[in-house]
Amino acid sequence: MKKDPNKGYIALLGWSLNAIEAAENFDRRYVVVAPDWAEEYCQKHDIPYISWNFERLNDRSMEIAETLKEMGVNVAIPLFEETVEWAGAINSLLLDSPRLYGQSLLLRDKALMKRRAQLGGIRVGIFEEAHDKDDVIRFLKRVNQTLLKLDGDPNDPIHLKAFDKAGCLGHRVIRTPDEVDTIPEEEFPVLMESHLDGWEFAVEAWIHDGKIAFLNISEYVTLGYSVFVPASPELEKYRPQITAQIEKLIKAFDIEFGLIHPEYFVTSDGEMYFGEVAYRPPGFKVFELLERVYGFNAYQASMLVFDPKTTPEEVAAFFPKEVVDADGFAGCFGVYPRLRVVSRLEIPEEVEDHPYFESHELTPPMQETVTKRTAFGTHWGLVYFKGDDAHRMRDLLKHMEELDFYV
Amino acid sequence: MTTQSDQPGTNGAAEDKLGGLLAKLDEATALLAQAPDFAKPAKLPRVLDTARRVMLQEGGCAAVESRAETLEAAGIFEGSDWATPQFLVPSLTTQALKSPDANTLVVEAISELRLLAVAKGERLHPLISAEQAHHYLTQAIALNLGLLFGPPTEAERETQGRLAQLPRYLFQHLVARIGYEHIIDRLIAEIWRILQQRPIQVEPVKQMITQIAICQADPNIDLGTSGQGADRLVSSLFGPTHATREDPGIEVYRERLGGMDPSALQAEATGFARAMHDTGLVSPYHTVLLRHLTEHGDQLISEALGLSSTGRDCLLCYRDLVHALIRSGVHPATPQAVYGLALMLERGILYQPPVAPAMWRQLGLPLSEWSQLRLNLAFGEAVSPRARLLEGVLCMLGLPLGVGQGNNPTCQSARALSMWAYNDPDYLLQMVAWAARDDEIIMHFEGMPLSSMASLSGVAKELPMDLDPVSLIVVPHLDRIYAEMGRRCAGREGDPHRWVNPEFHGWWSGRGFRINVDVATGQIIDLDAFLRHFYASYHPYYNGNQPLIHPQPAGIAVTDSAARFIGWHAITLLRASLDPSDVMRVYFYNPNNDSGQDWGDGIRVSTAGNGERFGESSLPFEQFASRLYIFHHDPLERGELAQVSQEELDQVIGYLQRSWGADRLSPTGLQASSGP
Repeated sequence: MKKDPNKGYIALLGWSLNAIEAAENFDRRYVVVAPDWAEEYCQKHDIPYISWNFERLNDRSMEIAETLKEMGVNVAIPLFEETVEWAGAINSLLLDSPRLYGQSLLLRDKALMKRRAQLGGIRVGIFEEAHDKDDVIRFLKRVNQTLLKLDGDPNDPIHLKAFDKAGCLGHRVIRTPDEVDTIPEEEFPVLMESHLDGWEFAVEAWIHDGKIAFLNISEYVTLGYSVFVPASPELEKYRPQITAQIEKLIKAFDIEFGLIHPEYFVTSDGEMYFGEVAYRPPGFKVFELLERVYGFNAYQASMLVFDPKTTPEEVAAFFPKEVVDADGFAGCFGVYPRLRVVSRLEIPEEVEDHPYFESHELTPPMQETVTKRTAFGTHWGLVYFKGDDAHRMRDLLKHMEELDFYV
Repeated sequence: MTTQSDQPGTNGAAEDKLGGLLAKLDEATALLAQAPDFAKPAKLPRVLDTARRVMLQEGGCAAVESRAETLEAAGIFEGSDWATPQFLVPSLTTQALKSPDANTLVVEAISELRLLAVAKGERLHPLISAEQAHHYLTQAIALNLGLLFGPPTEAERETQGRLAQLPRYLFQHLVARIGYEHIIDRLIAEIWRILQQRPIQVEPVKQMITQIAICQADPNIDLGTSGQGADRLVSSLFGPTHATREDPGIEVYRERLGGMDPSALQAEATGFARAMHDTGLVSPYHTVLLRHLTEHGDQLISEALGLSSTGRDCLLCYRDLVHALIRSGVHPATPQAVYGLALMLERGILYQPPVAPAMWRQLGLPLSEWSQLRLNLAFGEAVSPRARLLEGVLCMLGLPLGVGQGNNPTCQSARALSMWAYNDPDYLLQMVAWAARDDEIIMHFEGMPLSSMASLSGVAKELPMDLDPVSLIVVPHLDRIYAEMGRRCAGREGDPHRWVNPEFHGWWSGRGFRINVDVATGQIIDLDAFLRHFYASYHPYYNGNQPLIHPQPAGIAVTDSAARFIGWHAITLLRASLDPSDVMRVYFYNPNNDSGQDWGDGIRVSTAGNGERFGESSLPFEQFASRLYIFHHDPLERGELAQVSQEELDQVIGYLQRSWGADRLSPTGLQASSGP
């Protein structure tokens, strides 16, 4: 698409073909910042590109920021969890706003993030950092003591998460001290949280000028397996409270622009508990789902709200009206093989024949033996659905858990 | 005589479904077309997957054909060999169409549909001419004729699953558009090859013959000199006798019969009988004659069934029963019942005391609602479900080796039915009665009763439909019981067939069991002793020239035409004897629908011409032994290991090493067997 020189020049941090395709079809100039293995591909396909290996921030980190500044780039957008603090560092230079770097560090560390939220008056569960297994056992005992459990009562579980990984990576549920032994040493330190019974959901909010430009609620059917948008009427009922929570979050983290992706629990009495927030596109291809129902490209939406040259009018014209402008419900399901030994991919007939079934990105199995899942492992691919009834969608996604896609 | 499409769904819902899928396909194609080059690979899978689903619908291949140009322009062939159709090699289609990778298969299918539009002159392609495209397609069809017949083979079922239907729909569409005249001679040879195996299910063959008849009758199709061998096939269905020559219709023929004198009836009877025994196919007119003859004396019935003295004797002994069977089971919609009846009489099994009374039970058997529903669903409602089942029973008793497993992983159950029909017919009839009337079969496993109702699931994930009437009713029960027996063996060391086979098939299955594969590692073990023991048990030169008494279950490692391992398969050992050219052969029953298989490395399973009876498969003894991995024997008769010459054993081991044993033989095993 023809680029508009009066609009911003954007750097995409990390390698995502979908993001590049969106940028290619958008009126902003862009450049991809990615590791050197992407160079040949970018040359071949005429993709604007700068080579950079995102390792830990170090003395040379300013180099990339200065290179981008010399090129006239206005803002950097993180595409992955690992590039969030890079974007913070780069943007603090490009936008001459040093606090952006500090903000990005808050958004990268789950323990710091929770404290900041708590300070901002947001409800969170009990949490603590653990540096070794003893810390975990102590926390498990203390939490259950607090819950007035007697010896022999089944424990309430606790959750362990890596400080700085996206989504479910490294997420474990621990119920008994025995299970603590299964945690490899190298996973420490971790964040521990008490278990919250409730309905878990996520939000994708595009923020421009410190205000919410578009707020999507993603309903999890089962965490780590399935999600759909927009949320069912039962969850959308909480939209005013959820909006208020996001506004609190914006204030607590002092967010002026960008895309945030927080997770919450709502308990049966309507109380919202904050889980965590990420400053990058969500996993589970929620962007694709949004495009399916609303028609706008969510990567372009991010470029729009990150771009300092964007006007409020342009933002207002870009986004549709939440929920009412959606032409149905789009959901996806992450497939895990259920059998220990699999030989081929076979989409169950009832899935293929279902009117909601759209497509899948599953590939034939690479190995026959399925590695046992520790933690919440990585799914083998997603299956996409779209239809016009939220409840049917929810039940369908739930039912997927009982099917074998690999046999 | 209208041709039936065997594609699923013919109603409005199916059209809606196709419409919905086409909308999705068009959307995915548009996304692919719009995407910049670098993003195309990521958009392609959705196009291919949706195209696959479209082509599995009725009318789907035609819809894809009409979109082929758009699909090509969107870039689905870019970066692959298909981008240059002028260089495509027809012989490679065979591999692509059998590929377990859906995308390979779908790209191949779309490419052929694209060439079809070019071949028909409906589209100009910059890279390939109409003549080239036409030549390519006729070659491809001729090379893959098997796809026009019946259900998928074991190998296709194993590797492709439901996908195996797609190339079949594709080829039906291609042939309908390209025209049969280009492939008809190969088609006829193929039909004869299948008919020589005398399958119970002849519907696919009949459809092909009908296609040929339609081509012959169509003045627009110039068959030239091709199609000469089709006359017997076409006439056996539509006009085998003097009075049916011009295919007059059932009503007219019935009237004609009323005016015939005994000698005219005699001529009709022999005409039908000859056609039936020639081809194994029965004309619907034949049933009209037979019903008519029940009022004209048994001599003419015997003529119409083409009976020998054995069969005639049996007919005369049990004339009331036979008349009742004709009245209840022989209708224009159930013509194969005539052939089943004739062969059943020839087998003389009615002389076994329980069989005739069991047939009387069958005649009056009330069918459960479920059984009636299944029969109507699978075969339509032209005749009552009871008549349909009776036809199935007659065919199974007449053609025990004609049982096929359809497109289902139920070789064990098909084998059991065949074995009972062959060896223990009244037990088979008992099973049919329980299943059809009570919806339940109870078998015992090591003293514990196993009910097919209580057993959760079988090997087949869904209820099989593409079966003969008896299998249709009984197999779901057997399959569940078989799977349950397997579950009862879970945790035992070694292969569960050791215990399951004798309990499942019958007392005559030897309790002694040999296997040459180590279940835990998949490695071949103890090969030398295994083979010597097999020779000692089954080879007439080494077992005291004792012919095999009862059919025995056995397991083989099926290999494809490149001798690559496909899977384990259940067969029945029937006999071992010298063939007409004095080669010692193993004759066996394969529940697969087409036994004429190429197992690679020069091993081609023969179904005719080497002393086979109808439905038998055969291989030279050493070739068979090389694919064997399980056999049963009588533990009390276990004698010396056969002193088979090393030369002969080396031959067997050579076949094994070059095929499924290639990566299963341990290094030490190799050294022991292969000399310097």
